[in-house]
Amino acid sequence: MARIAGVNIPTQKRVHIALTYIHGIGHTKARQICQSVGVPEERRVNQMTDDEVIRIREAIDRDYTVEGDLRREVAMNIKRLLDLGCYRGLRHRKGLPVHGQRTHSNARTRKGRARPITGKKKA
Amino acid sequence: MSRSVWKGPFVDGYLLKKAQAVRDGGRNEVIKMWSRRSTVLPQFVGLTFGVHNGQKHIPVMVTENMIGHKFGEFAPTRTFSGHAADKKVRRA
Repeated sequence: MARIAGVNIPTQKRVHIALTYIHGIGHTKARQICQSVGVPEERRVNQMTDDEVIRIREAIDRDYTVEGDLRREVAMNIKRLLDLGCYRGLRHRKGLPVHGQRTHSNARTRKGRARPITGKKKA
Repeated sequence: MSRSVWKGPFVDGYLLKKAQAVRDGGRNEVIKMWSRRSTVLPQFVGLTFGVHNGQKHIPVMVTENMIGHKFGEFAPTRTFSGHAADKKVRRA
């Protein structure tokens, strides 16, 4: 078991896949990290030497914002918009899409499950 | 896509003049403006602008955080207070 960047314990997968279990690291960053610390692509997490684990840990600590810090950063950015009283802040407040998408239909990710309209007559 | 840096921020010229005039005048009055497309610049901080929303001028106190946003973002153009059906649900 390898603990990297706090609570993440990826398992028997290849390192560059296992790293994507960390919030804030996707495929691109995972590959960058592997390359920069010289971990070959076929290496799996349980085959890594302690030294490699340490180097990966250091690389992430040094160069990337992940997990709690990243979540806090995102939350702060949204909070700034909320406090500002700008259009994007209002959209966040109302739970509607922020980037100008249509809301006549769709937008279900932001609006949540569709609620039936009460009192609507059947055709 | 965001605007090229080499162009600098976009501001309608008359705003700069008006803002300067109010600064020199000393009194902090609402600057009526229609230019929703203009960027909020650092020299506007502390002034109050009446940003047109298509119907009337919404007073906007410019704070430091607003720098880089457009004036239009602070004066919503639509009024939507929910559907009639939604209200019925809430009453029931």
